Amino acid sequence: MTSARLLESWRVAGLLFLLTTGGCLDQMPGKPNPASRPKLPSEQTDFQVLFARSCSGCHGADGKLGPAPPLNDPLFLAIVPDEVLLDVITRGRRGTPMPAFDRRLSGTLTAEQIQILAEGLKTHFKPTLAGGDAPPYTGELSTQPSAEQIARGEKLFASACAACHGDSGQGSGDEDTAPGRVNDPALLSLFSNQALRRIIITGRPDLGMPNFAETDGRDSDFKPLTSEEIDDLVALLAHWRGRPQQVASNMGPGE
Amino acid sequence: MNARLRQIGTWIDRRLGVRDLLAHTVLHPIPRELESPMGWWYVFGSASLTFLLLQILSGVGLALVYVPSADQAYESLLYLDYEHPLGWFLRALHYYAGSGMVVMVLVHMTQVFLQGGHKYPRELTWCVGVVLLLCVLGMFFSGQILRWDPDAYWGLAVAGSMAGRVPIIGPDVVHVLLGAETIGAAALSRFFALHVFVIPGALLFFLAIHLWLVLRCGVSAPPVPGQIVDRATYDRDYAESLKRGVPFFGDAFWRDALVSALAVIVVVVIAAVLGPKGPTDPPDPTLGGANPRPEWPFLWLFALLSLSPREAETFIILVFPLLVIGVMFAVPFISNRGERAPSRRPVAVLSVILIYTTLGVLTYLGFTAPWSPRMEAWTADPVPVEIVKRSTVPQLVGGSVFQYKNCRNCHALDGVGGRRGPDLTSVGTRLTRDQLIMQVSNGTPGGGLMPAYGKQISPAELSMLVDFLVSLRPEGQPAAGWATPGPSLGAQQAAEPTYAKQLPPPDAS
Ligand code: HEC
Ligand code: HEC
Repeated sequence: MTSARLLESWRVAGLLFLLTTGGCLDQMPGKPNPASRPKLPSEQTDFQVLFARSCSGCHGADGKLGPAPPLNDPLFLAIVPDEVLLDVITRGRRGTPMPAFDRRLSGTLTAEQIQILAEGLKTHFKPTLAGGDAPPYTGELSTQPSAEQIARGEKLFASACAACHGDSGQGSGDEDTAPGRVNDPALLSLFSNQALRRIIITGRPDLGMPNFAETDGRDSDFKPLTSEEIDDLVALLAHWRGRPQQVASNMGPGE
Repeated sequence: MNARLRQIGTWIDRRLGVRDLLAHTVLHPIPRELESPMGWWYVFGSASLTFLLLQILSGVGLALVYVPSADQAYESLLYLDYEHPLGWFLRALHYYAGSGMVVMVLVHMTQVFLQGGHKYPRELTWCVGVVLLLCVLGMFFSGQILRWDPDAYWGLAVAGSMAGRVPIIGPDVVHVLLGAETIGAAALSRFFALHVFVIPGALLFFLAIHLWLVLRCGVSAPPVPGQIVDRATYDRDYAESLKRGVPFFGDAFWRDALVSALAVIVVVVIAAVLGPKGPTDPPDPTLGGANPRPEWPFLWLFALLSLSPREAETFIILVFPLLVIGVMFAVPFISNRGERAPSRRPVAVLSVILIYTTLGVLTYLGFTAPWSPRMEAWTADPVPVEIVKRSTVPQLVGGSVFQYKNCRNCHALDGVGGRRGPDLTSVGTRLTRDQLIMQVSNGTPGGGLMPAYGKQISPAELSMLVDFLVSLRPEGQPAAGWATPGPSLGAQQAAEPTYAKQLPPPDAS
């Protein structure tokens, strides 16, 4: 092959190149279709997607039957104030495994998404029960519970909880029905007092723990627990924990 | 005008003195045999060079828009893809020309090897060429990370565990590479620097040496069966053949140019038709369905990792690549004399076939392999309901801790979750309480596989976590260790954090 012929084929190649690039690039199939543009995680506004990605790992696929307290619980949703939902998701519960989700606290969600989640919990999981006769979500816990309060708590525990949790919270013997020990300081240090109160009020319907009023398994003369009685029970648990408020885990979410 | 220009040129050259060098380069003689159709075998090196130029140009273009920060990298790529005029094309071109460069370099190396071009006196040219291959792969690797999507996480995870296994200095290397012990924003900045400064610098430096060596040692003539490379006579014969040689700037140049132009056209068409690669899903580390894959030049290693027993991992990830690189460097020293024609070198031809078949099969398997480290944030996968239902309160809290500490990123429960470590669904039957405490606190001894959580987990969290792990066993199966109470039980109690001492054993079944 001579140089001249090589040169000629080179010219043809150049022409081809110009043709392909010449103006029509914008119509090429490789141009990404705006419809398939992926959503940034910060642009995601669908409650279900947000919940599935951020919350279901602990709170369960449908907001229940997870290791953390269920959020898909009509009674809980009926009594929990909106500000609490917003605040807990934003800042987490320090010292517990509930992480802070706000981006500014090294979480993964924007303020808007947290808003969507907080509102979505109530609209999506629908609090069917009016919380009318239930004790309020927040109670009062003195930082130094008195001996009398703890004694009252012990009596209440015996009538309302001991059947499943054992006389002093050590758990009952039967593996299948036993919810295990609840008097372990390590265990209690990973619960906020607020969560303890809430679980006494709502129970864990998904796992068979009765709420503040249900009688199953309890003494026949059991009366629904009042707000003050629940305070007494939380005081007892805090006493078992050895600290009035839960300790901070050294890796707990920031404040 | 022309005279004036020439004057300026002469003035400059009097000081710079490159005219001779250029003339020498362009007109250096090459063996006349290259004018035969055999000459078409010699075009791949310059095609690689053309791709490199294309990469530099498109790379500069991309760097004008790309933001190398963790919170904006992804968005700037979306901006290029969807908003900036022809930004998508630039990205596609950069990706496919990069791929083309890897392909061309490999083809070039294979051609040189098959035709014995690496033999005396061109051993050093070959070795520098191997360095260039490593640079090109390094560019590919660091480039993939700049995309900052789930695939990038994969790359970083591997780079991290690769570096972490280097004896003694491993942790420090990880730190230098990632800018931290874990994958995060710092890593992106580091890899950006690698991709645009460090590796290209090295690449251009070694490329200059490579080209200089090509000029100095000359282009090898096409091999002729029976013509044997002998150190005693080769130089004289070669010099003799160059006396009848032809200048490079002639057929050879136009051939190179033609093939390069064709290669560019092919890449442009592919880029225009297939469009930019990724970014795939957003860089949301909690994505449930993320199925990260490394880029194609590394898929074979990925497949090898996922198909091999875990014990072989350190070998594959650290020793094996070093071995491969070592062998490549050794090639011209193992055989630098004798026949050059492939028809007389069956072993060489067979090894090439073998290597490419293996790489091909492994690459194919790499597309489906399950090896997947996920590195950050809370996994979206729920704890299996069956486990939750039979859990005690401490175990429930332990389950939350398990999710909170991201154990799930590496460990599956009931088959769902990361695959980096073993599935833990029945770990309670395998390990005792104290063994579990050891495992979580110390991680894998020597680092690299499982991080040590000792300093990142409070005693309370550890205690609950271990309660949870002990409970992970199929119904009716005893916990490890409990069936045979003996000396180990005493040790167990001793390993127990003190506050739990007064309590009955967690789960005395
Ligand atoms: C790593 C596990 C984990 C993840 C992920 C998680 N949570 Fe929680 N969450 C917990 C735990 C544990 C508690 C109980 C904390 C305590 O003791 O107060 C909790 C408590 C809460 C509470 C307060 C409940 C109460 O009884 O007062 C709300 C509301 C909540 N989480 C919402 C969310 C939402 C919304 C998400 C997703 C954005 C989420 N959580 C993700 C573990 C988690
Ligand atoms: C970066 C990935 C990674 C993370 C995160 C991780 N692990 Fe591991 N884990 C591994 C690997 C790999 C192994 C197997 C190698 C070994 O035994 O060290 C392993 C082994 C284990 C084992 C022993 C399993 C057996 O059958 O022998 C347990 C138990 C374990 N991990 C628990 C945990 C817990 C609990 C966490 C969270 C606190 C965790 N891992 C986090 C990678 C990880």
